[in-house]
Amino acid sequence: MPEWLIILILAVSLYFLTLFAVRVMGKRQPSRMTPFNFVNYMVIAILVSFMALNLINLPFGFIALGVWVLAPIALDYLAIKSKRIHDLVYGKETILVKQGKVMEENLLKARLSGEELLRALRSKNAFNVTDVEFAIMEATGDINVLLKSDKKPITPHDMEWKVSPQTEPQTVILDGNIMSEPLANMGLTPNWLKTQLEKAGVALDNVFLAQVDTSGDLYIDLFDDAIELPQPKVKELVFATLEESLADIKRCALDTNHEEAKNMYSKNADKLEKVIENLRPYLLR
Amino acid sequence: MTVSAKVKQTLASLKGVQATLNLYATQTNNDEIKTKFMEAVSATNDIIKDLEDRVKVLEFQEPQYKGY
Repeated sequence: MPEWLIILILAVSLYFLTLFAVRVMGKRQPSRMTPFNFVNYMVIAILVSFMALNLINLPFGFIALGVWVLAPIALDYLAIKSKRIHDLVYGKETILVKQGKVMEENLLKARLSGEELLRALRSKNAFNVTDVEFAIMEATGDINVLLKSDKKPITPHDMEWKVSPQTEPQTVILDGNIMSEPLANMGLTPNWLKTQLEKAGVALDNVFLAQVDTSGDLYIDLFDDAIELPQPKVKELVFATLEESLADIKRCALDTNHEEAKNMYSKNADKLEKVIENLRPYLLR
Repeated sequence: MTVSAKVKQTLASLKGVQATLNLYATQTNNDEIKTKFMEAVSATNDIIKDLEDRVKVLEFQEPQYKGY
């Protein structure tokens, strides 16, 4: 066999073997890797490139490759099962700021200068060190920051607001094609979608993207950006109509002289007011 | 606008709202939203019933406006 053919076969087979091995080793992103993971991948890459060029004895190469592929898989498995092995393999997280105070000795342990710490904090939007309650360096080297409770962004929970629960929106049209699985997830049919498109007055071919949100409202984006589409405002409209009805009933209560009717109107006005208050989070927020 | 026409108009918009609420209650997969909208539907149902009774009385009193 000519040498070029050997190298071709080797390169192609090693290409797929490495692809498979790296896939089996896990889904970890390069930015989430510990330094040792990085070394591991480097060793595999070097081994494979040498083997592909037939520079080292093939069986020896495969033995080494096997070790460097299987050992991390085994270690990963053990690390999931045992916290101690996990800490040994991946290292422990280092606390950098605790109760608003910078832990200098931990900074030294993590080989982090004050400047680097400040940069990391700034990238987490904490420009003042006084705003930071707690900061931690994960085993991967990421720095995560907990802001002091008075510096955290306000959430509806802080305001004691009730908000409507929302699930993930489903993309039902992509590039002018109806996606049947997300539609089925929402319990809708292609027929429903076609009716909605007809209502909006657009052709399916012209739709780049359409999403259905929790309440079943459809958002449509067109290829033709010159066409202005009204955004779904049904909920706001329902809320406004409810309030209008409430005002009407209240006026009726004032207008009538009939005692019984007056009572009936004001009773129903109260009832409607309660309905409106109950629905406010679901219709407006 | 007569009183009965006014009440009828309110009745019509309430019925419209109720239909939309019903639609939302059926459309959603979320149980919390579903129950809230269903509650609202049944509450508006009571109001609609009361208003309808009132319309009947008004039509009886002022038969010349019947049907408007």
